[in-house]
Amino acid sequence: MRFKRIIFLFGMLAAGLWATSGCTVKAVGDPNRPITINAHVTVDIRGLKDTATDIEDYVSGAKPKESLPIDQGGK
Amino acid sequence: MRALKILSLTMILAAAMTPLSVRAEAKYALKEMTPGVSAALDARRARFDNLADLKAKGMVGEDNQGYAKALVSAPEVEVVVAEENNDRRVLYTTIAAQNNLAGEMGTIEKVFAEVQRDKAKPGEMVQEDNGQWVAK
Repeated sequence: MRFKRIIFLFGMLAAGLWATSGCTVKAVGDPNRPITINAHVTVDIRGLKDTATDIEDYVSGAKPKESLPIDQGGK
Repeated sequence: MRALKILSLTMILAAAMTPLSVRAEAKYALKEMTPGVSAALDARRARFDNLADLKAKGMVGEDNQGYAKALVSAPEVEVVVAEENNDRRVLYTTIAAQNNLAGEMGTIEKVFAEVQRDKAKPGEMVQEDNGQWVAK
């Protein structure tokens, strides 16, 4: 009984694969309608807060100019 | 079977840990110290004691958009506040421009507002996120 069930399931799987193997999907873009992608920028709030804190610490005189968040290539 | 389970769990754990390490390194910096930014920072530093004095007297507060606000109708106070806010705007727009955050000025302003609230001394007026003005 169990062996028959396995054979049945295998047969269904094979049939499904056979049925879909002949199907193809082709997507064709419309050159008159350009695709627009709206990318959402994820802001690192913690990193931004670190930058803000460094700047405000300098402004208040608590830290020297060397503590400012300036990239290595910054002047 | 047991080895397969251990391998699967290890792969899932590795995949979950990878994004955390990448996010921890992110930080926004001033890519270039332009003359405008340098002047704005120096002006704010020179103005700091005066502004702090006005805040201590309750004449100036920190709003929830990252800017100072005159709480009294006095020309000399309004001039100081206007100059301070101009310099802050230069900094915010520079951070946005140099870190590809051109559409995130609102976020930058709110983060600076939060830092100003954190650094406010007891008794100084600050505006909370809900718009209410309170003495810290």
